[in-house]
Amino acid sequence: MASQFGYCSSSSTTFTPSSFKNETHLSSRFNIVPRKSHSSTSISLIRLRIRPRKHFQLKSSSGHPLNAVSLQDGTAGVPLAKNDMEPQGKEESLPFSQSENVGPHLSITIVGASGDLAKKKIFPALFALYYEDWLPENFIVFGYARTKMTDEELRNMISRTLTCRIDQRENCEDKMDRFLKRCFYHSGQYDSEEHFAELNRKLQEKEAGKLSNRLFYLSIPPNIFVNVVKCASLRASSTSGWTRVIVEKPFGRDSESSGELTRCLKLYLTEDQIFRIDHYLGKELVENLSVLRFSNLVFEPLWSRNYIRNVQLIFSEDFGTEGRGGYFDNYGIIRDIMQNHLLQILALFAMETPVSLDAEDIRNEKVKVLRSMRPLQLEDVAVGQYKGHSKGGKSYPAYTDDPTVPNNSLTPTFAAAALFINNARWDGVPFLMKAGKALHTKRAEIRVQFRHVPGNLYKRNFGTDLDKATNDLVLRVQPDEAIYLKINNKVPGLGMRLDRSDLNLLYRARYSREIPDAYERLLLDAVEGERRLFIRSDELDAAWALFTPLLKELEQKKIVPELYPYGSRGPVGAHYLAAKHNVRWGDLSGEDS
Amino acid sequence: MQDGAMATTATPIENETPFKRLKDGLLSVPSSIEYNEPVALDINEKESAVSITVVGASGDLAKKKIFPALFALYYEDCLPKHFTVYGYARSKMTDAELRNMVSKTLTCRIDKRENCSEKMEQFLKRCFYHSGQYDSQENFAELDKKLKEHEGGRVSNRLFYLSIPPNIFIDSVRCASLSASSGNGWTRVIVEKPFGRDSESSAALTKALKQYLEEDQIFRIDHYLGKELVENLSVLRFSNLIFEPLWSRQYIRNVQLIFSEDFGTEGRGGYFDNYGIIRDIMQNHLLQILALFAMETPVSLDAEDIRNEKVKVLRSMRPLQLENVVVGQYKSHTKGGVTYPAYTDDKTVPKDSLTPTFAAAAVFIDNARWDGVPFLVKAGKALHTKRAEIRVQFRHVPGNLYNRNFGTDLDRATNELVIRVQPDEAIYLKINNKVPGLGMRLDRSNLNLHYAARYSKEIPDAYERLLLDAIAGERRLFIRSDELDAAWALFTPLLKELEEKKIIPEYYPHGSRGPVGAHYLAARYNVRWGDVGADQ
Repeated sequence: MASQFGYCSSSSTTFTPSSFKNETHLSSRFNIVPRKSHSSTSISLIRLRIRPRKHFQLKSSSGHPLNAVSLQDGTAGVPLAKNDMEPQGKEESLPFSQSENVGPHLSITIVGASGDLAKKKIFPALFALYYEDWLPENFIVFGYARTKMTDEELRNMISRTLTCRIDQRENCEDKMDRFLKRCFYHSGQYDSEEHFAELNRKLQEKEAGKLSNRLFYLSIPPNIFVNVVKCASLRASSTSGWTRVIVEKPFGRDSESSGELTRCLKLYLTEDQIFRIDHYLGKELVENLSVLRFSNLVFEPLWSRNYIRNVQLIFSEDFGTEGRGGYFDNYGIIRDIMQNHLLQILALFAMETPVSLDAEDIRNEKVKVLRSMRPLQLEDVAVGQYKGHSKGGKSYPAYTDDPTVPNNSLTPTFAAAALFINNARWDGVPFLMKAGKALHTKRAEIRVQFRHVPGNLYKRNFGTDLDKATNDLVLRVQPDEAIYLKINNKVPGLGMRLDRSDLNLLYRARYSREIPDAYERLLLDAVEGERRLFIRSDELDAAWALFTPLLKELEQKKIVPELYPYGSRGPVGAHYLAAKHNVRWGDLSGEDS
Repeated sequence: MQDGAMATTATPIENETPFKRLKDGLLSVPSSIEYNEPVALDINEKESAVSITVVGASGDLAKKKIFPALFALYYEDCLPKHFTVYGYARSKMTDAELRNMVSKTLTCRIDKRENCSEKMEQFLKRCFYHSGQYDSQENFAELDKKLKEHEGGRVSNRLFYLSIPPNIFIDSVRCASLSASSGNGWTRVIVEKPFGRDSESSAALTKALKQYLEEDQIFRIDHYLGKELVENLSVLRFSNLIFEPLWSRQYIRNVQLIFSEDFGTEGRGGYFDNYGIIRDIMQNHLLQILALFAMETPVSLDAEDIRNEKVKVLRSMRPLQLENVVVGQYKSHTKGGVTYPAYTDDKTVPKDSLTPTFAAAAVFIDNARWDGVPFLVKAGKALHTKRAEIRVQFRHVPGNLYNRNFGTDLDRATNELVIRVQPDEAIYLKINNKVPGLGMRLDRSNLNLHYAARYSKEIPDAYERLLLDAIAGERRLFIRSDELDAAWALFTPLLKELEEKKIIPEYYPHGSRGPVGAHYLAARYNVRWGDVGADQ
């Protein structure tokens, strides 16, 4: 298995001097752009924004003064408020006129353009950004894959997945046509520098000598990550603007392979060129988590072990691998969902107040959380795997019925875990995580269970277990985004019956706008150089450090997962795990499911 | 027993002295016997009868509120098995005439209409009428005889509801207590505001009542305390972990208690003109809610424990100062061809009346929990809307990371908890939330609990709850005399000053949002009224 994860094209263990040379050569390539011209463009860019984005107005990229590449990188389209402008631009007159129509060129290359993710998520997200005028004036999208295809064929392929926002359908067709005209295709091998050089030529043609920024989206299997990065960075980096690469999970399968991947990527890229996407961080309600915590007085005082009894992070899918288990079987649910998506949400949830909303400040706090956590122990985990199930005459396959999955696979399709953060704020508070496939419902949510009221005057209205009537804060990430706070309330009427009612904010009812897909936000952030929602390498290391011992133990001891019927609520082991820590799963309590 | 949880089961009688006559020692009724065996009264609920006498049965309140509330209790099986309702008034009327009159105002709950007319008939059969003078012991003795007939030898418990003008309170109480008290059960008297018009007259009334009744026979009703959401206030505070930590000057910037009516006196200003809005609404309803809101956690939910805490709040408050009060009076206003009358256009109001129909006040509780937190109280007639609500404005987030999203005034974007008492009961918490979409725009959204959406049951009228509590001897929602004294002590100096100095109210158009003076008063304490903001 390990060989599969030798990421570097050269032998992963022996590091030849030549590869070092190669690297230095590379970085000098990256640094061709003289500082002055760069900074001036960034100014012009500020002025030329098509539409000012009311974002955090971070100075994230320019906040990296020490790194040579970050200069290059700093042309991010984040609109700095005028008084926030760095003084560097004044050294030189602007090379680009300040007229409205000229701006840096943006080339987005989707490597693996014929894949599922590209078709279902990336192209539609790009179109949505275009549709809402978030993309720079001059942009092109290049699909890159091995398949032979013409531009026309690519356009034809993606046009089927583009949709307009439900709430604003005007000009939809029109906009689609214009978007598709900006889409091109280049066929090539993933490990061919020559083919990437051809791509580079095409890109240069389109860029027509303008300052150009290039974004590569690697929508390809992990074993060719490094090859592509090598070829792209050597042959198709921007010579005048920034070059950034978006990579998606899996980032290795344990500490070692992840460290190896990072090391290999860094042969060709600097850390701030690498945008490790975790699309859960782009979800609306995950974004809102910090807003809730830090812009409302009523929540922050409660946000600690003094008031919070436990936190639950729940992810469930109502379908199995459905014939696509090949990739999954090698990873399992813990690596696929828990170690990244859920852990990231946990870190955001539990972090201390950052100094500012800048990416580095937030990620610093997240790393601190991860590093304060105890690595997972086998006894803190319950794993499961779905088995076949017949319901209403229909039968649902077992995980091992999937032809792409070995018949004796022990890979968990369900896992529940109890995690602890050993810091002053969270000592002793169990964070329960649960993720599973082929469950009865599709859902992702964060549940915060508060402690019971000490010395509750209404004790007798609650029966014997006060913990069953505590306040809960629920953030439902999907589907049907909502925030609600369960409170005890008097049932109207004579007498004094109490029940739990919700203080409710259902997004659908409050906000008529369609909620953008996570990929839209993340792509936009990558274009703008906003790194807040991307994973830094030290975060990744810390995350793996928590899970690697457990994952190894599971595999070495060949722990047999508890089987649960397809479409059920998961293995009961999850309840016993929760019970051990005095927790009840909030999503299976009856009143909510 | 006292716990509200039990209220529906209508447990009667605690060990209270059955009635005052014991002390007076004037009467030869064998009171000492019952006094020796009070336990006997408690034993068998089934063998006891409750007689409810509505004194002033032909009046408006009786027709609109008391009889319908009694019927609703009957309809929901909340009344004891043996009960009779007696109307008492000066008008000559037969039982049938009373029933006819009462039947016009009875309604069934909207959500369960079955057997409605049947139940109505059964209820009406239990209603009787006795005509008599309010100051005639003889007439009350006749009533007593009739009551005894109905009680048929059972232990008799008697509840008198005084739905009469205050000037005849004492006469009626005297006659009822001397001639129509229960011989072997309890006798209780419900009285409604006004309880005097200042400290002295209130004390005089209390003193006079206590000649004939013990404190625990007197049930001073404040029907606002029977409102569903006022009842819920304590539940919210004390059964939810998330609110209590926030319930102090550390997190709460100000509290607003708002009452408005969208109509004027409409030809019934005679009584009102003598009292004014401060006595009519503020000194009782709003102050009571304030005390419930601000009190410390009581030892238990027992009436005495709760009322002890409420008195402490009232006694920690600074008496109102003239400069912390704004008074107003509505003037006529023409809108869309319709002319709305001024207060002084009311024929029952003197032309030169200075009686306030609107008042706003800033009050302060000088204790550890609330020091420096302004409680703003506002009440008015003939305003643009009908509403009663409690608004809690929280402080702004210290060191808010999202400062730039909020503009210059951080206090404009603070959390706010709103408890809407009427109409359309609701609780909502305004929170800052990210507007979904790319970019980072924040807005204030509500975490919402809308009663109509959540609870399909009709919410009972405040009078139902209070009548039931009086029958059950639950005093939690009734005003104790020391509470009343403390409440008057806060308002009496101000009321005197207003009258002595003949302070002229600020005029506001009928149907408007009230005098702008209320805004300046709020501004002085760094408060913005939450009910007239743009986002309402």
